[in-house]
Amino acid sequence: MSHVLLQTVWLIPCYALTGVILSIPWSPGIIRYTGPRPAGYINLLMTLTAFIHGLLALRATWDLPAQQLVIPWVNVAGLELSIPLEISSITVGVTVLVTFLNLLAQIYAIGYMEMDWGWARFYSLLALFEAGMCSLALCNSLFFSYMILEVLTLGTYLLVGLWFSQPLVVTGARDAFLTKRVGDLLLLMGVLALLPIAGTWNFSELAEWAKTAHISPTTAALLGLALIAGPMGKCAQFPLHLWLDEAMEGPVPSTILRNSVVVATGAWVLVKLQPVLALSPLVTSVTVLVGAVTAIGASLIAIAQIDIKRSLSYTVSAYMGLVFIAVGTQQAEVALMLLLTYALAMALLVMSTGAIVWNGITQDLTQLGGLWSRRPVSALSYIVGAFGLLAVPPFGCFWALLQLADRLWTNESWLFWVVLIVNGLTAFSVTREFGSIFAGKSKAMSQRAPEVHWPMALPMIILMGLTLHVPLLLWQWQLLPDWTTLNITAAVFLVSSSVIGCGVGSLIYLNNNWPKPVKLGYQPLQDLFAYDFYTPQLYRVTIVFVVGLVSNIISAIDRYLVDGIVNFVGLATMFSGQSLKYNVSGQTQFYALTILFGVILLVITMTWPLLIRLSLVLSP
Amino acid sequence: MLSPLFWIPVLGAALVGFWPGGTPARSRSIAIAVASITLLWTFWLLSQFDISNPGMQFTEFIPWIEPLKLNYRLGVDGLSLPLLFINSLLTWLVIYSGSTQLTRPQFYYALILLVNAGVAGAFLSQNLLLFFLFYEIELIPFYLLIAVWGGKKREYAAMKFLLFTAISGFLILGAFLGMAWLSETPTFAYESLTTQKLPLNTQLILLTAIVVGFSIKIPLVPLHTWLPDAYTEASPGVAILLGGVLAKLGTYGLVRFGLALFPDAWATAAPGLAILGAVSAVYGALSAIAQKDIKRMVAYSSIGHMGYILLACAAATPLSLVGAVSQMVAHSLILAILFHLVGVIETKVGTRDLDLLNGLMSPMRGLPLTSGLLVLGGMASAGIPGLVGFIAEYLVLQGSFSAFPIPTLICVICSGLTAVYFVILINRTCFGKLDNNTAYYPKVQWQERTPALILAALILCLGIQPTWLLRWSEPTINAIVASFPAHSYQIASLSQDSETK
Repeated sequence: MSHVLLQTVWLIPCYALTGVILSIPWSPGIIRYTGPRPAGYINLLMTLTAFIHGLLALRATWDLPAQQLVIPWVNVAGLELSIPLEISSITVGVTVLVTFLNLLAQIYAIGYMEMDWGWARFYSLLALFEAGMCSLALCNSLFFSYMILEVLTLGTYLLVGLWFSQPLVVTGARDAFLTKRVGDLLLLMGVLALLPIAGTWNFSELAEWAKTAHISPTTAALLGLALIAGPMGKCAQFPLHLWLDEAMEGPVPSTILRNSVVVATGAWVLVKLQPVLALSPLVTSVTVLVGAVTAIGASLIAIAQIDIKRSLSYTVSAYMGLVFIAVGTQQAEVALMLLLTYALAMALLVMSTGAIVWNGITQDLTQLGGLWSRRPVSALSYIVGAFGLLAVPPFGCFWALLQLADRLWTNESWLFWVVLIVNGLTAFSVTREFGSIFAGKSKAMSQRAPEVHWPMALPMIILMGLTLHVPLLLWQWQLLPDWTTLNITAAVFLVSSSVIGCGVGSLIYLNNNWPKPVKLGYQPLQDLFAYDFYTPQLYRVTIVFVVGLVSNIISAIDRYLVDGIVNFVGLATMFSGQSLKYNVSGQTQFYALTILFGVILLVITMTWPLLIRLSLVLSP
Repeated sequence: MLSPLFWIPVLGAALVGFWPGGTPARSRSIAIAVASITLLWTFWLLSQFDISNPGMQFTEFIPWIEPLKLNYRLGVDGLSLPLLFINSLLTWLVIYSGSTQLTRPQFYYALILLVNAGVAGAFLSQNLLLFFLFYEIELIPFYLLIAVWGGKKREYAAMKFLLFTAISGFLILGAFLGMAWLSETPTFAYESLTTQKLPLNTQLILLTAIVVGFSIKIPLVPLHTWLPDAYTEASPGVAILLGGVLAKLGTYGLVRFGLALFPDAWATAAPGLAILGAVSAVYGALSAIAQKDIKRMVAYSSIGHMGYILLACAAATPLSLVGAVSQMVAHSLILAILFHLVGVIETKVGTRDLDLLNGLMSPMRGLPLTSGLLVLGGMASAGIPGLVGFIAEYLVLQGSFSAFPIPTLICVICSGLTAVYFVILINRTCFGKLDNNTAYYPKVQWQERTPALILAALILCLGIQPTWLLRWSEPTINAIVASFPAHSYQIASLSQDSETK
């Protein structure tokens, strides 16, 4: 039985895809008779099946070495493209995590999308993401990972664009698609270049190859930079981070999935590629640098946001930056652990704030307040989520951050401080958001804000329970450090950074006497953070401007120069024909003259050699 | 076996043309019947085709005009078979989607069938003069199709098309005559033609004539100016045939008569051709971004995608050439669905202007299915995996990368630019808020939906299982590449790295 479950593990993504296909009939036509909901229930059922299958397979694969399963796909002209699957407890575990979170997101969506007609589209897109992420987890080949990332880019476009009649949604979807696509195409360049050099795309074989590979530093650097560009787009790292913020215009249930695991797809590929990236010191430094800049920059921006969702979205970028740092400093396991602990906590935070987006009047942090008594479940979820996210012992991320900090402590101490700062800033940021929403007195906009109904509360409670149990799980999996080797100093530093962040945050935002809105001393600096380092403007004056200008120039050249020449030739022909017609006058004398001219011309040309000799004779 | 592919449409054209009292509906039914027979015949051919045989199959030979060495010699191999299938399929779809309010229906359907016959003849003919004959014959029906059923500037567009392609014909005829007369035994028979013994300079001159001639047809920058006008002014069905079938004659000719007949000269010219391909791709993509007319945008996208095919042909590795053939098929399918949907939008909404179109995805008042399929078509064109455009583009890029890394990377960037203009198109056309006061669009009929659904199904199926697309051409391509002498130039800096490891 367990063997069968493992051999059929490739079915896990297929369940979701079946859901996609089955919801096709609920395109607008049939909704009139059944309503949009059956499509959602079908997908929910499929996800549940996938979850159960994954759970059983996880039990079966426990303590077993990783197995390979190869599915043939295309074999053409000497290029064999087979899909290698790696079945190990980690990969199957990731599918369980993804299906579980999608299950919760879908239940949440029953409540959140209550009044929406687009269920079929929404649920099938969620299912597409589930299928994509599960296959990404199982797939052991860079090429197919690239393919999946590219499909998910399209998925993001459609999912963010779900409510396509709102202008902000349309631009958000566009930017998400194009930004991610930039990353994807650079990744494609890397994928194309890697095959002739390494001869394989299989991650395990690549790791083997990287041990003995001797390639020129330039090639290694270019290749590595192309390969990290894809994850940079997916993980919303500077300078490709803007899309995540704009994607917040999409529905919250998709945000749950996006902020927790979809952004992590890039990090996953990055982790898998780590041996190849390590070939070039430049690439690892760039990885670390991008991660560090994003982590600090995004946590600062997060503090300056007033939108409930956007503030969280920048925290996502910041944590992905930490993952980049972990990969850049060769700590793949720590990166994976951080991804796990982070995903659960972030999903919980998004669920909690999403509830306010759903039935609050506003999602502006400055106009909310005092919801603690009205929304106890949301508030508790928020607290648990925040503790899970921060370095607060004994919750999940503490252990991951501690391991990260521990290694950095000995090797690269400046990065250790980066982690501390990010943790402190994030602590301040989440406390600020908590204070603005739940603490203080209720304001005009937060008077009528009851707790959400069960489809949204249930997943919150379940996830809250799970987040609280993460330390136990880590302990069970022996991922917790030994007491004897525990770096107490690093732990103390980490915890104090959390305490300072939360403390300052509480001092300002849990304190009714502190005047609000809080101003940073220097207004341009605050604007710099509030407007996201002016990234949209930066895009507009650089890449968007250049592409627009060049395309207009090319188009003008095409219309006036290339086509102009063609039309000019046509006109010239017509004109010369028109003018020549006046030669046909009907007068005999004119024709005789023409004949005479013709004859003279002919005689001269035919006797030309003779004439030349004649002239030589005449004028010696 | 092969003759019916040519003769059924010819006879069908006569039947449609001379059937008494041809209403649009009746003419259409007859034409559908004829096209269905041709399509079924093509399917039967597919089933009988021996994939492992790289050479010509089902050859037919009838002596015709001996003194001219013009003989009726037909054959099909892995290069022409997929294109023949596309020809039959697209003709069927175009006829099927023919409007019921068509003026002069008998003439229209007869011309479409003649186009089908001419293209099929050109793909089949194994005699250079015969190929040229078919190649030129289609000009007349196409000219009429554009000039009679086109848009406002149809006469200008049709004349431009005619002049350009006539020049293309002259160049190709000149090259063919040169090939036959300069070789030791004057012949036009494809398989016995030997050009390898000519001096390289002569070969280069002949090859230049062939490349320029077919580049007009494909078309490649800067010989493309007939295309935006012709594609935009032609009715959607004719545009599908122009882009999906006729342009493929150009790429087919490039491989068949350029690459295969002049291997040495081709190897010499390849770096230039690769750059030309990259330039076409960039030029087409950037021009498309600046367009305001969705049909024109799709037309320019076609130029961009043709650049990939030239790049792949220039690289001439087995992988890139299989990619080129599959890109020809993929491009035909994608272009067909895009032109068809743009045509549907134009007839229902009444405009093709990006600034006026809005919110067509709206489920009740808009055109949700059409919009959904448009997203699919656009994304297939932008090379999203899982759709047929991806695998073709990917093979082209991977196959060409080791030979010409820089042009290949430029083409990757163009793939991103493709996404840019399709996102512009989809955002403006499908997304956005539909104005409820003006949105009273006629319902989309099944007759208009079916062709798009068939194409969408093909795009998806061939994208998920590309083997069904790739397997036809592989042995033929291998045979072509095996006779290709020069691979020395294909060593790029990156592969040198791997050799030194």
